[in-house]
Amino acid sequence: MADAASGSAADKSVQVKLVLLGEAAVGKSSVVLRFVSNEFQANKEPTIGAAFLTQKCRLEDRVLRYEIWDTAGQERFHSLAPMYYRNAQAAVVVYDVTKATSLEKAKTWVKELQRQANPNIVIALAGNKVDLVQPSPAAGSSASESEDEADDATATPGEAPAEASDAENLRQVPREEAQAYAEEAGLLFFETSAKTGEGVVEVFTEIAKKIPLEHILASSRGAAGRPGAAGRSASQDVSLDENQSKGKDACNC
Amino acid sequence: MDADGNFDVLVLGTGLTESITAAALSKAGFKVVHLDVNPYYGADEASLTLDELARWADSRAHPDPADPNPSPYLLSQRETFKAIHRSLVIPEHARHYSVSLSPSLLTSVGPLITSLVSSGVSRYGGYRLLERVGIYDREVGIRSVPASKEDIFKSQEMTLLEKRRLMRFFMFASSDFEGVKELEGHEETGFVEYLQSVFSLRAQVSDAIAYALAFCSTAAEPTLPVLQRLRRYLRSSGRYGASPFLVGHYGGSGEIAQGFCRVSAVNGGVYILDRPIQSITPPHTQPIASSPVSEKSLPGTAPISESKYTIMLKDVPEPLTADIIISSPSQLPPGLRDAAHLVSSTNDSPGESFARCIAILDRPIPFPPPPATPDVSSSGDPAKPEGSSDRAASEGEEAAKPVDTAVLVFPPSSLDGGSSTAAVHAFITGQGTMSAPQGKYILYLSIAFSNSEKSPESQLKPYLDAILSLISSSDDGASTAEALFKVFYIQHPHQTPTLATTGAEAATALLIPSVSTALTETADASSVAAEAVFFKAVEILKAKHPEAWSPRDSETKSGSGGDVFEEIAFFPPTEFDDAEDAGEEW
Repeated sequence: MADAASGSAADKSVQVKLVLLGEAAVGKSSVVLRFVSNEFQANKEPTIGAAFLTQKCRLEDRVLRYEIWDTAGQERFHSLAPMYYRNAQAAVVVYDVTKATSLEKAKTWVKELQRQANPNIVIALAGNKVDLVQPSPAAGSSASESEDEADDATATPGEAPAEASDAENLRQVPREEAQAYAEEAGLLFFETSAKTGEGVVEVFTEIAKKIPLEHILASSRGAAGRPGAAGRSASQDVSLDENQSKGKDACNC
Repeated sequence: MDADGNFDVLVLGTGLTESITAAALSKAGFKVVHLDVNPYYGADEASLTLDELARWADSRAHPDPADPNPSPYLLSQRETFKAIHRSLVIPEHARHYSVSLSPSLLTSVGPLITSLVSSGVSRYGGYRLLERVGIYDREVGIRSVPASKEDIFKSQEMTLLEKRRLMRFFMFASSDFEGVKELEGHEETGFVEYLQSVFSLRAQVSDAIAYALAFCSTAAEPTLPVLQRLRRYLRSSGRYGASPFLVGHYGGSGEIAQGFCRVSAVNGGVYILDRPIQSITPPHTQPIASSPVSEKSLPGTAPISESKYTIMLKDVPEPLTADIIISSPSQLPPGLRDAAHLVSSTNDSPGESFARCIAILDRPIPFPPPPATPDVSSSGDPAKPEGSSDRAASEGEEAAKPVDTAVLVFPPSSLDGGSSTAAVHAFITGQGTMSAPQGKYILYLSIAFSNSEKSPESQLKPYLDAILSLISSSDDGASTAEALFKVFYIQHPHQTPTLATTGAEAATALLIPSVSTALTETADASSVAAEAVFFKAVEILKAKHPEAWSPRDSETKSGSGGDVFEEIAFFPPTEFDDAEDAGEEW
């Protein structure tokens, strides 16, 4: 590749819309919080507050700017709007390794994405809360904090409490099973812990490697930087937030 | 959601007005639960895939023998949408279409755009400038309508005198014309006659102004309201480009409604679709002992349930409670019909009935190239947004490119077999608005409906045929153009029940006014109605809990500590941006 060409590409940060999907209380927001601010909050309230978070991700000579959309709780009554995942270039579908039904829910989301979303979408499957099933040196204290992560009213009572001794028994989704499904469905696969940070950054960097950046870069040109403008001529698209001060006769002088 | 399902406001219906209202209430700090009986967002303004559209049509078209007791919702829908008739075969890739039940053009300066920008919803979706407006002419086919003053100067079709008359009219129409002598005594005159008699414009020009710029549906529309509407359009021109109008991606209104619902959810709104209401118990009718009384939410909040509505939904075990209910006309539960207070808004219109057709085409409408551009803007203007300089630069090439997003107007008497009194507006959207697969186009036809004896199909088919023959004749040697799918129907304004006007002060159930469904008016009308409903709701909630609400969120926002309701605004500027970019590394 010519130096000049790659040099100019490096100046562009490519905006990528990434959506989170998964059953309530599997830790979607916690995974993002870990990625974006390297934090973890036990007892996190169900998602309220931000429309999306942004985080840059450096990849070799290019910078990706993730625009990360959280479900804002709209998945809870199966009422997530199609608008949410339209135009997404990437999706992280999260399940909880201690809850088998959450993988089934994840599979329905994958199906929905493959049917409805951008055909080039990169999907990662993330089995979260893996800290709960790992015997750790400080097992007693860490596990008792983790149980609070079941983070909202819809969490199944009695599911979270983790005694250090039966950490392995908590696992309801074997890694091999989920991985086999992911391979078959063409997904990236990770086990993660938002609590310890394990696997979280990898999810986002591996997605970044797999995204067809050139394609996005080419098609978003002239589309006012909208991440969703992939794959079509966008010269007539407008960004509503711009031009607000423009007079009606901003003419050619 | 609180474990106890305790809300301030229950909103019924996810149409555009309801969704804007819900978003505004959530942003103002109220706890909102928002329901729709349909499995999709948008209600009567939804964007549907073709298979969803077919199901939508079928469930409204005929009594279903399998469903001898249709829901009150379905019955009311069958009063609103009549004489539905669709093609039997659904084309392939049905899920790749976003067909709007409420096709709309958004004025670039207007209440809806203001709400979109101030709520932050604008950044959720994409918008495209309307590329072209044309007028059907039985001799030449499609005649381009000048999109700007520049286009008028460039026009080869008008004499200098005509151009001067036209410019004089535009100067007048953009001004504060109320009460000036050109208008005096003509407020009620039919608009076309007015243009011809007062501004001496010939028929072709006055038709273009009335039907293609002011979007009149008949020649007889009274001058004053038309002029006021036209002034809004003229003032919208130039904000994002030459056209005053934008088209929302993915079917427009339905997608925009979803955006407002997301803003509501992001601010704590709870969303439940596709769950019919099983029961609504109004306040005071019976003490609800079984419901847990929670005091945890706010200091000073009145104990719940006795002063609140209690709502049970199908398949949701927990009851919901709410101080007030806000409902769209079509989703108002029959039990609330007598208690509901119809909110009036400044744009109250009786609402017109339209005969409509939605058709899928596999070729674009052959618009003529735009008026010749004698090298005015191609030099580029740094002040121009990227989009519009691109447009100018590629105008020559665009002549060959199919027009993706456009309106074709058929003035009255322009077509044999067509209406001699009403204009037909044909709105087309293609892949550029993400509403159709590549190479496919959605065509929406509408005509003001007056003659109840004529089916929508017999009224609109001549227009569809005229468009198909334009397409066929433009394509040398190619096969005759046909619509891949069509549905015809009549849309009446919502039947708003006769409501008691007394006791409005004590009302706790608010009925959203029915708004115009006209192509260029419906979006702004929804936003205006939402604002009226929002302020009415705030007023009632304030009266209901004068003490409970004042502490909420007000400590940091205002030093006064006084009555927070004085400060509640419809989508005020907020810290929204900060919240969104919390993780930003700049």
